Amino acid sequence: MMLRMAFRIVVIPLFIMMSGETPKSGFEGSKHDFRKAEWAKSDPCAVCHTPVNEKPPAMPPLWDPKADLNRTFGTPLARSAGAGSGTAVCIRCHDGTVARNMIGRKDPFISREHPGRFEAGHGRKDHPVGVDYPPIDRRYRPANAVTASGSVTLPGGKVECTSCHDPHNFSGEKHMLVMSNARSALCLTCHKK
Amino acid sequence: MRREGKFWGVAQALGAGLCVVVAARADESVVNSKHDLSAQGPGPIRAVQENEICVFCHTPHNAAPQTPLWNRANPRTHYRIYESSTTEARIDQPSGPSKMCLSCHDGSMALGNVLSRPVTHPIVMTARTIPPGTKDLTNDLSDDHPIGFRYDRALSNQDRQLKAPEIVSPDLPLGAHGEMHCTTCHDPHNNELGDFLRESDQMSLICISCHDLKGWPASSHALSNKTTVGRVVDATERLKYATVGDNGCMNCHKVHSAPHRERLLRFQREEDGCLNCHSGAVASFNIAADIGKRSNHDGRRRTDVHDPTERSLTMRRHVECVDCHNPHAVEHNSIGQVAGTFGQVLKGPNFFASGTTISGRDVQQASFLYEVCLKCHGDGVRQGPSEITRQVTAYGVRAAFQPSNPSFHPVAAPRRNQDVISLIPPLRVGSMITCTDCHNSDSARALGGTGANGPHGSINEPLLARNYDTTDSTTESGHAYALCYACHARESILNDESFPLHRRHVVGQRTPCSACHDPHGVPRGSGGSVNHASLINFDLSIVTAAKTPGGSKIEYLDTGSFSGSCTLACHGVTHVNFPYSNPRQSGSRRISSRATAGGRP
Repeated sequence: MMLRMAFRIVVIPLFIMMSGETPKSGFEGSKHDFRKAEWAKSDPCAVCHTPVNEKPPAMPPLWDPKADLNRTFGTPLARSAGAGSGTAVCIRCHDGTVARNMIGRKDPFISREHPGRFEAGHGRKDHPVGVDYPPIDRRYRPANAVTASGSVTLPGGKVECTSCHDPHNFSGEKHMLVMSNARSALCLTCHKK
Repeated sequence: MRREGKFWGVAQALGAGLCVVVAARADESVVNSKHDLSAQGPGPIRAVQENEICVFCHTPHNAAPQTPLWNRANPRTHYRIYESSTTEARIDQPSGPSKMCLSCHDGSMALGNVLSRPVTHPIVMTARTIPPGTKDLTNDLSDDHPIGFRYDRALSNQDRQLKAPEIVSPDLPLGAHGEMHCTTCHDPHNNELGDFLRESDQMSLICISCHDLKGWPASSHALSNKTTVGRVVDATERLKYATVGDNGCMNCHKVHSAPHRERLLRFQREEDGCLNCHSGAVASFNIAADIGKRSNHDGRRRTDVHDPTERSLTMRRHVECVDCHNPHAVEHNSIGQVAGTFGQVLKGPNFFASGTTISGRDVQQASFLYEVCLKCHGDGVRQGPSEITRQVTAYGVRAAFQPSNPSFHPVAAPRRNQDVISLIPPLRVGSMITCTDCHNSDSARALGGTGANGPHGSINEPLLARNYDTTDSTTESGHAYALCYACHARESILNDESFPLHRRHVVGQRTPCSACHDPHGVPRGSGGSVNHASLINFDLSIVTAAKTPGGSKIEYLDTGSFSGSCTLACHGVTHVNFPYSNPRQSGSRRISSRATAGGRP
């Protein structure tokens, strides 16, 4: 109990401060740089980029010891949801089992009860991914205007994790965003608010 | 050189144009609006460091389980909700999007507490919570426009002054179950129209999107282009628009934090809503001056006693402006003439006011002006007898004006008494009059004055338009009985054209009109229809019973056209069955009168 309190009070803010101000841009030294991790040393890229006909590397250490091992590394979940690779690769880890999806939250990114529910709806806790970008809607900017900005991408016309996040940390923004969200510029790239 | 200058001019123009475009866009966006709480936001309430805008309400991950990726906890406040005697809606505690707005606007939760930050490290703001003031609605929502009720067909069927929900503009969205929310009127992301409104409130367009008030579009309050300068109650308060018509509902109502909770009035005292403008400066006439006169309908004496749902027989004795006027429907009295034959049908100033019919039934919408008066003066439950004690006492004027009475002034029904030959045209036998022909302000413009028409107040009691002496031994003059002579020609009366002894009584004996005549009407007493014809109902302080062989008796008998007989004692003279008839009116008129016999009341 005390340990948990200490974790919440000390570690989490520390984590935020560290993650909030990523020291520099680039993949090197970023949280996705697994070269120093024992389990990925042999082929750190293979954590995400698996060569054709090759099996993924050995299981990475689990953040959550109670995680369902069979579910963690397979991606039928993502595929069933119709999400593109830009999402499927991410949620292999970021479904709350391997990597915590958000600070201080244990519950999975995607509901266990309704696997594959990405679409908008009541009770949704996360921004929808794997959904088609709205075609003509006065609440959103047109898709071509969004992609013309050069930062936000819409792979296959869909909103994916990689629309907003850059896993290689080229921009060096906090939360590995594709661009700075100062003045909520990232949000307002799509949302007309 | 010149060319360069030209170039700079063009560049400046372009720059200015760009600025205008950017400014216009900023208005339509949450960016740079008052809801931009980032450190770069325009308002006094903003973050100290945080430069994101959406984060104060939304988060892309691990949001609260509510639709727009909500980044705040719901307030746990229990709210006092709106109550009114006239609302048909079932108003519940706020829910859904309304709770999200209230998470800041009820002042209970810190503005910087967002779910995406640990509780220990909220966003540091210039103010911890929303500061007290107009934007802090508090946990008391009883002074705010109701939310959290279902606006459906059932409600609009019950409340005829609400539009059917399906014809309300789609720009004003209702909740998932058709319930009204803050977001029905407000778009938190768009402050183009001010107050984050979804539709303009100029001429109260946003209000009348739902509220369908009878008579409003043509009412003088909706159409008035008078400027609101010179208001007496809230002179320092700035109204959003310059004219009465543009401010619309907001002249009298306040949607949030209304001082008078029920019906969301702008003033604690309901009459202030009227007198604010009707005290000489904004509106044409000074009603405040009228109701300050000796005999008056002064709404300032009591507050909070009027209720639109009141019943005439059970309500407390009171008078308010809204007892006679419906401010949503008032129109200018284009006729401008009170005395005359036109006064029957209800006119502009009292459009859609409630009333009581001559048969005693309460109606929400009076058809005739007298019905508005009868609401209070109709049945004498809370009124004493008139100041003059007469043979037959009518408690309340509804009994006096009954068309079945032996005689009455033609307010509720016309008369066919051919003997009334003193009438000044355009009045004639068969004409009808209104209460306001006699009861009116002494300065009414209908009487040649400069003030407002209507019984607001008069120097003549009881609220009479003209002087009317009722004391015995009054020297006859045009002034003494000015009220009567306004319709009944003084020459005709004093030349004895109808009752042959008028001059002898009125001039010679200095007897007031009221000694013999009861002006409203006389209910059928113990005698037959002949006893109280011609409004004869003696003032017992002047006229007393005569001793006759059959005992004491005071009696008037109508014995035909221009003839009758009296049994009474008055001014030291005793008449016993004293007959009269008018020799000047013999002949054709008498015959014609007989021809319509039976119709003679």
